[in-house]
Amino acid sequence: MTDAAFVDEPTIVVDDVGKWFGSKVAVSGISCSFGPGVTGLLGPNGAGKTTLLRLLTGLLRPSQGRVTIFGLEPRRHPEVYRRIGLVPEEPGIHPDLSARAYVRYAATLSGTSADDAAVERALEAVDLLDVADRRLGTYSKGMTQRAKVAAALVADPDVLVLDEPLNGTDPVHRARLIDLFRDLGDAGKTIVVSSHVLEEVERMADRVLAVVDGRLAAAGTVAAIRRAMSDIPYRVRIAVDDPRRFAAALLEAGLVDGATVDDGAVQVETADLAALGRAVARTARELDVHLVEFRPEDASLESVFRYLVRRRR
Amino acid sequence: MTGLLAVAGRTVRQVLPTKRLVGFGLLELAAVGVFVLSSLDRTPARVGEIEVTIVLTVFFPLVVPIVGLVLGAAALGDERRDRTLPFLVLRPLPRIGIAGAKLVGAAGAAVGLNLLGATGISLAAAAMGSTGPGPVPLVTGTILATVAYLAIFVPLGFLVERAVLAGLTFVFVFENGIAGALPGVAGLSAWRRGAAAYLDLAGEGWAKVIPEAVVGGLHGGVVGTTLEIVAAAAVGVLAVAAALRYRDLA
Repeated sequence: MTDAAFVDEPTIVVDDVGKWFGSKVAVSGISCSFGPGVTGLLGPNGAGKTTLLRLLTGLLRPSQGRVTIFGLEPRRHPEVYRRIGLVPEEPGIHPDLSARAYVRYAATLSGTSADDAAVERALEAVDLLDVADRRLGTYSKGMTQRAKVAAALVADPDVLVLDEPLNGTDPVHRARLIDLFRDLGDAGKTIVVSSHVLEEVERMADRVLAVVDGRLAAAGTVAAIRRAMSDIPYRVRIAVDDPRRFAAALLEAGLVDGATVDDGAVQVETADLAALGRAVARTARELDVHLVEFRPEDASLESVFRYLVRRRR
Repeated sequence: MTGLLAVAGRTVRQVLPTKRLVGFGLLELAAVGVFVLSSLDRTPARVGEIEVTIVLTVFFPLVVPIVGLVLGAAALGDERRDRTLPFLVLRPLPRIGIAGAKLVGAAGAAVGLNLLGATGISLAAAAMGSTGPGPVPLVTGTILATVAYLAIFVPLGFLVERAVLAGLTFVFVFENGIAGALPGVAGLSAWRRGAAAYLDLAGEGWAKVIPEAVVGGLHGGVVGTTLEIVAAAAVGVLAVAAALRYRDLA
């Protein structure tokens, strides 16, 4: 585990936490901490981000390890929920309530006085004042997300846990929410926000934890994560009419780290995709073979994360 | 305290959306209608007997259980189904308080609905000059039986996926089948506890209107039954509170 997984003044401490459902391991041996500012939790769909956020908030019991917020385990000390706001990924709203009544209900449950000013401020922050008396059941997905953010903000929590909060939001409100989360982080709140979109996290968070296959794959600044991603060997499928001779030529020229021939094509690994692209055309001409296809196979974010996990093991 | 009152108030609305309110309202009024139709052109003494018969063979065994189990199972079951549980439980509220508020809210809704039927039967009986037991025994028995179902089905709705199906099986197979045939287990029937309290307040003579072979054993005084149902409700609240603390909530 690198030091980048931990912060100096943590509000949330995750200590060797694991969670499994029957034989399925959702999260395994994660240790990290979160402090004031915005931390992005990045990972592909199904990586374990939501499970980890549910563990942080006490919605799930860890199968192993321990999570504390302000030194307390939320499940044992529900009073700590006075300082936590959660925006879950699933809709989870009361469709018969108006946004105003929903946010007021959240304030009442959080033990803060449900004064109109706090409710109005929260609605204003997410730009829902104009439609605050409409039933939530009539809201679009993006509007629902904003109502959930307002409900999480109304009690002015010190910790805000946001699971894919930008899902379904339009570009204008996406930018507004990003600014809002950044401002809250700058004001000293602990913001944990998950996303499977690197660019989204990059705009919100200074610090990123990458989770893949239920494990902490990387931690650090967005720039550090980007650097780690640039080191990845790409797998490329090159279909030619004489794959064996072509593979031998690529290996001899030192253009690829490895090559296999399969089903009329060469599968290769390279760290420099652009250079390989240039060399493949030239080599094909020199060998007089017919180049049918040149296709990077795993340049997705998911494969990047998987590489990071393999590298940590 | 304000937060828990809000939970209870919200629960009333949550377990009684308009469709359910209309459907169960009609069910309650159907029991009243059956009584009225059966009592037309009868002597006051006969109307009294019909009143007790309808109460013990239609109202307590069918109407009260269905309303009680569906609304009880909905109290936390709907929160889980609609995925609103995180909104409720990630709050600085004691778990036992949340469990109690859910039970109180659902009980308020279910008792209110069942009292619609009980009041309707009592008013109709009075209008037709019934010499029956009057409203106090029926209202008391209705409240006790309804709360008994809530004590069972609020926890069950949280802990079991198909609580309503389990509840209907309990009511129609066990309570209205097995417990009717085996008086020894009749004490485990929730509606019979309310019915027993009803007869306890109504007076000994009314028990003879319905042969035991029809409804099974009805034993227990109103005080003892009340204490048992309060104890059952307390156990139900503790069970939910423990589940909120120890179970996964998402």
